Amino acid sequence: MTRRIRSALFPLLPILAAGLLVVAPRQSGARTPSVVPSEHGSFAKTKNGLPQGPRVIEDGLGRPFALPRHPPERIVSLAPNVTEILFALGLGDRIVGVTRFCDHPSGTASVRKVGGLVDPNIEIVRSLDPDLVIGFRGNPLRVLDRIAKLGLPVFVLDIGEGLEALFPLIAKLGVVTRAEDRAARLSAGLIERVEAVGAVTAGVEHRPRVFVLLYGQGLWTCGGQSYLDDLITRAGAVNVASGLPKKWALYKRERILKDDPEVIFVLAKSEADFAAARDWLRRKARVESADAVRTGRVHHLDEDAASRFGPRLVDVLESMARFLHPERFGEGT
Amino acid sequence: MTAKTGRRLFWALLILLAAAGLLLSLLTGPVKTTAGDLLRLVRHHDQVQAAIFFDLRLSRAVLAFLVGAALSLSGAILQGYFRNPMADPFVVGVSSGASLGAVAALSLGVGVTAFGFSGQGLMAFASGLGIVSLVYLLSLRRGDFRVETLLLTGIAAGALASALTSFLLFMRSDSFDQAVFWLLGSFHLADWAQVGAVAPWFALCLLLASWLARDMNLLALGDETAQALGCPVRRVRKAFLAIASLLAALSVSVSGIIGFVGLVVPHWVRLLIGPDHRRLFAASSLAGGTFLVYCDLLARTLLPAELPIGVITAAVGAPFFLYLLHRKR
Repeated sequence: MTRRIRSALFPLLPILAAGLLVVAPRQSGARTPSVVPSEHGSFAKTKNGLPQGPRVIEDGLGRPFALPRHPPERIVSLAPNVTEILFALGLGDRIVGVTRFCDHPSGTASVRKVGGLVDPNIEIVRSLDPDLVIGFRGNPLRVLDRIAKLGLPVFVLDIGEGLEALFPLIAKLGVVTRAEDRAARLSAGLIERVEAVGAVTAGVEHRPRVFVLLYGQGLWTCGGQSYLDDLITRAGAVNVASGLPKKWALYKRERILKDDPEVIFVLAKSEADFAAARDWLRRKARVESADAVRTGRVHHLDEDAASRFGPRLVDVLESMARFLHPERFGEGT
Repeated sequence: MTAKTGRRLFWALLILLAAAGLLLSLLTGPVKTTAGDLLRLVRHHDQVQAAIFFDLRLSRAVLAFLVGAALSLSGAILQGYFRNPMADPFVVGVSSGASLGAVAALSLGVGVTAFGFSGQGLMAFASGLGIVSLVYLLSLRRGDFRVETLLLTGIAAGALASALTSFLLFMRSDSFDQAVFWLLGSFHLADWAQVGAVAPWFALCLLLASWLARDMNLLALGDETAQALGCPVRRVRKAFLAIASLLAALSVSVSGIIGFVGLVVPHWVRLLIGPDHRRLFAASSLAGGTFLVYCDLLARTLLPAELPIGVITAAVGAPFFLYLLHRKR
């Protein structure tokens, strides 16, 4: 028996040996001369003889990030919502790279595309010689780490809960791009609009039951953890799928019939998609007995605006509120 | 043409191809670069271009070469070990086991980094070797073991590991990129630390395998004959199994599962230079490395977005394999 175990353990020997041997190559791992310590590493030195440490802030993942002394001039954004916020901050002319999904505002058209959200091309990012790379949740962390290993400063943002989380996000972007004032102004403007909607919808007697349809394949909707759920509440309505402890979920047809939504918001990329979605709801989805489908209270929301955690969420909020409570906005009857 | 000049020609061509592949990898990429840029770099340093040429492209090509060489050597050893041309690192379960380890680390959120391997890489390495040990233990019968039992146990364990891997990936809807990486392989995250971690192990394994190559030749005559001719069959078998598993686990831990290299390349090489393992091991390594360098080149240039390299190795390897097979018959 012992012999049997001993012989079976034989293939494991290399693991033990690994512990002894593999330590060496890490040092010898042929670092090329190209990788000099990243610029912000040197700020710990002094300026004008005064000890002046780099201001270190935490990025969205709680990792330390040494703030550059100068406002970054060459920014690569790896997510559409980050791009939109940067443009809203008036930093569009400092963006040198975006993803192929960054199509808003129109200024993004002329910016170099570095790949997708999941597959940004590391080589293209490096070739743009950025002094700030901004990643977002959705970028694979391993890719972001690889970019950081090239000596580029990578700042990662995480999505928070609800619309409230947008403002810290904008503030962080303001800090890291050294545009704190503009970020404060942008947030203040947005908050004002959000509060205006809140004031209008505060005392509504009836909060309509809303179903959100992410048009595409089947009855995809947003659950209680989605910021859209928060937007619906703020717009003076109730998301019927609020009880689902998820961001996005496939909803059951029977549940829609039982919930009987009075309003359906359709997230669609274009008017044509929206028309197709409305048609699908009426004829194919077998939910025609739902109140919203019978009365035709089906409303189009821009899918891109609603699915990117950026400033256009406030547009979406206003669009929702106006559709839900037209009388309070001085429209309709 | 004698066999000897034929072999010399084979080696010369292979070395030439390997060098050309490395150079091509250095010059091609989504960022346009020319040979002139590379030469200018020698005279004055440009940080961006140096990073693209050396830190990104060269490290990637070298890692692809090493992994290709390791997989191919592992395949060559296992084909000799089982006296079966269909053997490759998959049959003893090491590839599937390694990828299971990586994905389990992902699900458990193991974040440590050591020796140039990521936490996932380490887990891949450990579980790849762990599963081979398990397979070996299970295929022992009263202290003795039969090659057929090992083969079947390995295939079963590999299938089980693959099923668990798929299950773990299915449970995490946000891990699509990880799923592609661990199931189809990629070099897009290659860096010098990984090269440094793989290279010495590969060199050690190649040396050991070459040292034992004569014994592998004897094994081809059957275990009894080999024993009679003075080959310590049991010990040699254990050593070869350990080497092949180590190589495969090493490869998967840095690049995910890359199929077909370990199966096809040793086969080509055997068809071209004959079955003598003293030559076969080194030649398979060189050919496998070269093959994977070209495959990686295709994977990153064929489409605007990168393809998983496993797609390329199978798509290129299978038809060429069939062609050689038919030409020979």
